[in-house]
Amino acid sequence: MMNSLAIEAQGLSRNYQTYKKAEGITSSIQGFWKREYIYKQALKPTDLQVPRGQIVGLVGANGAGKTTLLKLLSGLIAPTGGTAHVLGHAPWKREAIFLKRISLLLGQKNQLWWDISPLDSYALLTRIYDLDVIEARKKVMELATLLRCEHVLDVQLRRLSLGERMKMEIIGSLLHSPDILFLDEPTIGLDIVAQSTIRDFLIRYVKSKGPTVILTSHYMDDIAQLADRLLLMSQGSLMYDGTVEEFAAQADRNLQLLVRFEKDFLTEERIGLDFVLPAGQREFTFSVTPKDLAVLMSRLPQLGEIVDLRTEEMDFEGVIRKFLEKESRVL
Amino acid sequence: MISNLEYRINFIVDALIQPCITTVVEIVLWMAIFRGAGTDMIGGFTREYYLAYALWATFVARISTSWLYEFRMIEEVEQGTINSLLVRPLSFYEYYLSQMLGYKFVTTIFSLWIPIVVGIYLDLPVHLDRLPIIFLLIGYYLFLVHSMSFLISTFAFYLNKVNYFTSTKNLALWLLTGELFPIDLMPEAWRDFVLSLPFVSGVYLPIGYLTGRIGFGVFIQGFQTVTLGLIIVNVMGYLLWAQGLKKYSGTGA
Amino acid sequence: MGAPIILKSFWTETKKNFSLLVGLFKASFISDLEFRFNFATRIITDIFWYLAQVVTFEVLFLHTPIIGHWNINQTRVFLGVLFIIDALYMTFLADNLDKFSEKVRRGELDLLLMKPVNSQFMVSFQRVATASLGNLIIALMWMTYALYQLPDLHPLRIFWLIVLIPVGFSTLYVVRFCFSVVSLIFVRGENIQFIWFQLYKLGMRPDSIYFPWLRYIVLTILPVGLIASVPARAILDPPNWPLFLWAFASVPIFIWFSNRFWKYCLSKYNSASS
Repeated sequence: MMNSLAIEAQGLSRNYQTYKKAEGITSSIQGFWKREYIYKQALKPTDLQVPRGQIVGLVGANGAGKTTLLKLLSGLIAPTGGTAHVLGHAPWKREAIFLKRISLLLGQKNQLWWDISPLDSYALLTRIYDLDVIEARKKVMELATLLRCEHVLDVQLRRLSLGERMKMEIIGSLLHSPDILFLDEPTIGLDIVAQSTIRDFLIRYVKSKGPTVILTSHYMDDIAQLADRLLLMSQGSLMYDGTVEEFAAQADRNLQLLVRFEKDFLTEERIGLDFVLPAGQREFTFSVTPKDLAVLMSRLPQLGEIVDLRTEEMDFEGVIRKFLEKESRVL
Repeated sequence: MISNLEYRINFIVDALIQPCITTVVEIVLWMAIFRGAGTDMIGGFTREYYLAYALWATFVARISTSWLYEFRMIEEVEQGTINSLLVRPLSFYEYYLSQMLGYKFVTTIFSLWIPIVVGIYLDLPVHLDRLPIIFLLIGYYLFLVHSMSFLISTFAFYLNKVNYFTSTKNLALWLLTGELFPIDLMPEAWRDFVLSLPFVSGVYLPIGYLTGRIGFGVFIQGFQTVTLGLIIVNVMGYLLWAQGLKKYSGTGA
Repeated sequence: MGAPIILKSFWTETKKNFSLLVGLFKASFISDLEFRFNFATRIITDIFWYLAQVVTFEVLFLHTPIIGHWNINQTRVFLGVLFIIDALYMTFLADNLDKFSEKVRRGELDLLLMKPVNSQFMVSFQRVATASLGNLIIALMWMTYALYQLPDLHPLRIFWLIVLIPVGFSTLYVVRFCFSVVSLIFVRGENIQFIWFQLYKLGMRPDSIYFPWLRYIVLTILPVGLIASVPARAILDPPNWPLFLWAFASVPIFIWFSNRFWKYCLSKYNSASS
């Protein structure tokens, strides 16, 4: 029976050990023989299940534990506690059969060779992944067409722009048609045009091939547009697990209503229980749900002459920041 | 100094383990040579003289060779991180000079007791009273070592992969300083040529004088050749640096 | 039942690694052609290294007829063996293993570990320094000269030389590899690499110059004596069967050990990196 879960983790955790750096000559000399070690919990015990074909967006501040989780699931590091099964394998054993089914793309590192053309690098990857030479070549051309970069395939990597290089890296990491794709900051440092090309490409690719994807990004647009599911991490724990929409709804009402009247209010006005319009002002901002909006829109014109009326959606980045601010207040 | 101490393992290796192993290899070689030679004297000196030379040469060669700081200097010029130092070429020169001298000082203090103790234990012919003056020469020679590093790092303005010059230079010095064997074993014409170069001040002159192979008259010539070398290398270094800077700022990099 | 399966998987893996090596060689060659200057600088640098070795022994032999068990003609052959193995080392291993700690620091190792290939193989042979193949030519020329000036050359012994050179190369590989991967534990272990060089120096001298106990050590625990001395003995001395047997047997033992050590260091690395 095929397991419908691509990733399954129970109590997965990870600690790091570092040593305290001494200051001054005397302590440096002491540090020569004796060191004080510090343990840091990078990932607190975490449960996680990811069904096949799901696109998971992983967000959080620097040091929140995103990369640790990504490295644990891709098998680069072993956990300190708990278990994980990725495609039925313990990832940190890094069995060839497992590695052939996953791909790890690190936005700031090149897996392709610097001084040769991407095509030459792909030829090497073809050997590494035991791929059919002709099929692999076809796949390269197909992906390059989608990414609109066929013209640079035979130029040495070091001569390419950052965006082109990232496209080449993406082709390299998809060459063996992985079942799980770990993308760590795939659009980092790229200009807007390159970012959106890559994003559009990923959307199309995922739709047609249906791999499971774990994606981290600093650009919330990446997550908002690509992910089916959002994992928010803070201080080594999962703070939120759900859809992007639910998150937005839960985190804060998703609309801002701005209204400006011609004159200041002489007395305080109320609409329902939630909305108060104090005296002595003419401009008001409300956070509203769509349902509130209907009520407000019918009542507001009765209170005076409206000069300006606008609604704004809070951007995703803002929502997450608000959410984390709220969480850290709780903590 | 603090940063030196922090790399504790590196440091122990560099200052102690490495010269110890090399010394064993060299001493063993000389013992084997004397066994095969079937004579008590080679080139007019007994086995003890060679053991003393081998013992001290490796320790001193560790001090009078520089890889690490030279690589760092090259790297800085190559990557253009000298931007902040551009205006004042001397501070780049001085910064690395002080780094190198500091490191060499600490290494010397940490490792010097070994050849002293071993030399006394094996009762080898070593004139310990000559240590201050030989370290004066070695210290002076280090300025030449640094100037050569500076000269090579200026090559990085014009060429890439300058590291090869460092390797080639240090391999050549391996022979020319007298680290591999005492220079006086060479055929006469070679010997005179090598002695006229400043590099013998790195190993052969100080250790030859310390172990009684050469007299004060030969030893003291080291100060002259090093001075000459310093002048030549620094003039070249200065010119190449100045030219290089022009080229560097010309490209707007 | 078990043995054929192991043999078969060994065969598949060997075949794959060979195909990979061909691929890596091609990619490296394309890349090296970009820097043609390298072909010249490499050779010039290494000529100084060859010179240092040759001059040292030539000068020493001006003052003594025999060092260890060998005279000057025999020592030249020894140097020939050393140069050939060293050229192979420079071509296939030096770049990879010298820069190993750099790769760890830059996180490039992580990408290598994610590939469905034998990670030890990949780490050791990723980059072939094709520019160093020129060294092999120089080494072979020196060897030809050294054999030519040898008064009593037994043609049959050349066969033993040819089979023992890979043995010497493997030994060199294992020792160097183990030293490199220590940097997985000590990330700033640049100087540890220098110990390697010192040890290699022990192997750069004929083993017969060492005291019996030291000779025993360099032939067994620190097997640097197997690198050049044993292959050189194959051509200079009558066959020493126990020594040859040990040399052959040591290859699988040491390679197995290096693999265990690699896995051990990797587990340490995995628990330290962030």
